[in-house]
Amino acid sequence: MKLSPNDKIIQDKMKPGILTADGFLGTDKRNFRDIIAEDMKVTSTFERSLEDISRRMEYLMEKSFLSYDSSIVVDGKYEVEYNSYRGVLLSPFPKAGRFGKATIKVTNMKNHFSVMWTPLHVHFIRDYGFFEGKGSKFRIEPEILYKAIFD
Amino acid sequence: MNYLKIINEILILAGISGVLSTLIVVAKAILQNYGDCEIDINGKRKVTVKGGSSLLTSLAEESIFVPSACGGRGSCGACKCTVIEGGGPILPTEKPFFTAKELAENNRLACQVKVKNNIKIEIPEEIFNIRKFKSKVAKIEDYTYDIKGLTFDLISPSEIDFKAGQYVQLRSPKYAKVRESVTRAYSISSKPSLKNQLQLIIRRVPEGICTSWVHDFLKEGQDVEITGPYGDFFIRDTKADIIFVAGGSGKAPIKSMLEDLAEKGCDRKMSYFFGARTTKDLYLTEYIESFSKVFPDFTYYPVLSHAEPEENWQGKTGFVMPYFPEAIRDPKNTEAYLCGSPGMIAAVTKGLKDLGVPEDKIYYDSFA
Repeated sequence: MKLSPNDKIIQDKMKPGILTADGFLGTDKRNFRDIIAEDMKVTSTFERSLEDISRRMEYLMEKSFLSYDSSIVVDGKYEVEYNSYRGVLLSPFPKAGRFGKATIKVTNMKNHFSVMWTPLHVHFIRDYGFFEGKGSKFRIEPEILYKAIFD
Repeated sequence: MNYLKIINEILILAGISGVLSTLIVVAKAILQNYGDCEIDINGKRKVTVKGGSSLLTSLAEESIFVPSACGGRGSCGACKCTVIEGGGPILPTEKPFFTAKELAENNRLACQVKVKNNIKIEIPEEIFNIRKFKSKVAKIEDYTYDIKGLTFDLISPSEIDFKAGQYVQLRSPKYAKVRESVTRAYSISSKPSLKNQLQLIIRRVPEGICTSWVHDFLKEGQDVEITGPYGDFFIRDTKADIIFVAGGSGKAPIKSMLEDLAEKGCDRKMSYFFGARTTKDLYLTEYIESFSKVFPDFTYYPVLSHAEPEENWQGKTGFVMPYFPEAIRDPKNTEAYLCGSPGMIAAVTKGLKDLGVPEDKIYYDSFA
């Protein structure tokens, strides 16, 4: 997919060393629009929407935030480890605001699927369906995320 | 013939593009030339700057360093100031950082206000004490697998005045894949009387631009730019009991406070809780424990949340909050000083309030 001038600005901000040390694209050679389009083919097969997915991620984050940077079991099924850091992260997308620096690791104790995300990913997924490029340290595989937080 | 026609058309198009580009550059130079602008600060000091830059940058060029943990990107909200006149309308990027009351009181983010004309502002007087320092890394120590202690020799200016608990900002240069210099805030861990050196404790943040530079690239002997001091996290001069709570690199300002109190003398009851996951996350333990020989009533409580059996940890386990009652004798007469991650601050603040410690006596760094 061809990038618009505004998209090119976003693509540039996703490169390493602009907003985070390694950026959001990993080793993926595709542009972010193509990455989103490809992942949408997967997420469109889900029974739940991107809004549902991001709301679920928020729910697990909120439940674990007061865990003093430790792990807790939510709803008897999800082990959630919340580690927060000082400072904020900016989104490469326009007018998105700022997000706390944290990592949230969720392990589904029933099926043992495990994923890790940051508060920025909730916005990425809800507003853009962006799960980061392949090879990125924080790339989320949509199927694994879905299985980890819903099954 | 056709080739000549094509070349001719290309040349004409290139010529038109060139003329248009020149016109844009000239128009920009004329329209965006705001000339000299006067910034009236607190009605006491006036500086003349070349218009067109942000208020934050314009002030920094006059060696007035308004706090900014994000380097002027509009993401940290640290550069709040009052713009009485000449700031123009508030931008959508600023609004999320202010309450309705603050907006009504003309609060703005200095990084988002462009200086286009004469402007009147108010900033805290302490900001005039903030300096930009050239420094050299004197020593780097590994405290844990993800925490380093750094000592900087101050070169120019060669001395700093600060209150124990305040922080400085470190500027990381372009390195490896990182194409922009960034500025990040770190609490000072050394005592204020050590004027020609600064010590910081820096924990690696996953994907962090500045902390990755500190942990993977910064070497002893290297030059580093530091600005500061900033912040209003410091010990209040009262007789109240003190409870310190820290985690990770949050030990930095507490260490500075303890060293400062040790020099000045202090007979207040002090309890210090340090929360960590395992023994691998503990550092400076013996040093902090040694303050119990300096102060008449000081106790250090390292608490591990995930101690493994093979670690043979004999100390306190779990979270720090359940141990607060044994340290707090009168919640209403207790001040709490917290430093750590936002998650830790939130959990501990809730725990202290539940025990009856007044919210206005719970202090922590504002840049978390």
